[in-house]
Amino acid sequence: MRVLVADDSRVMRQIVLRTLRQAGFGDWDVVQAGDGAEALALTRAEKPDLVLSDWNMPEMNGIDFLRALRAGGSSVPFGFVTSEGSPQMRELAESEGALFLIAKPFDAGTFESALRPHFR
Amino acid sequence: MTDTTSTLAQSVVPMAQDLFTAMVDGEPGLLLPMEALEEPITDPLYAWVDIVGPAVSRTLVVTARETADRLARSLLLKEDDEPVTLEDVQDALGEVANVVGGNLKAMMPEGSSLTLPVVEHAEPSASRPADHEQALLWWGGPILIQLWTSTNGEDL
Repeated sequence: MRVLVADDSRVMRQIVLRTLRQAGFGDWDVVQAGDGAEALALTRAEKPDLVLSDWNMPEMNGIDFLRALRAGGSSVPFGFVTSEGSPQMRELAESEGALFLIAKPFDAGTFESALRPHFR
Repeated sequence: MTDTTSTLAQSVVPMAQDLFTAMVDGEPGLLLPMEALEEPITDPLYAWVDIVGPAVSRTLVVTARETADRLARSLLLKEDDEPVTLEDVQDALGEVANVVGGNLKAMMPEGSSLTLPVVEHAEPSASRPADHEQALLWWGGPILIQLWTSTNGEDL
């Protein structure tokens, strides 16, 4: 199992990795990207089994990253991890094909609830 | 204080405490509200995000470099005596502003956007004092959160 974590904050990527471990997903391989454009290229090259992406990033934001993946025919499972969790953003994320949206702040329980229905 | 500012202001303390409990400290009760700063913050770092669009707002987080260093160590699970780079410190403080600002944005009218966080040694320019400020205390170090809001298109 390989997950791509996209966030322009290195600190936040470390927190996401730590939280994945705490939630019981510590054996996953991880690929990291620092913006949406890098994440798109790495997703196409590395073919992860899951993408966890921030929404607000330089170069390409998270929703455009997701749209580019879907437009290119990728159906990789995709979840947002973002500081913005309004109902409108959740609706938009879902309509564009995201599995879930985790709003910051989060803890291991938040990750487990979001991921466990999709990944064992 | 406008209704919007009042609503946001009431949310700042619980929002910041949720953030520190879940992602910084791993336990509640370590980030405490204060009536006001007891003295000016020395060697300050300023981190802010703006909300732009139909609703306009700025969230500014100010703390001493020493407290920002501790924050970065906590977020990165480093020991108290481990060094942290300025890049990590700016990244950590920027994320605090980003999470608080992002949560505030969810309470505002649709259609606005959140900017990327900016972290500087100098405070951002503003045409007027903040509409609301909240002093907090974390491990003995003060943290100040200031909010500006505009509902009539005026500059912050």
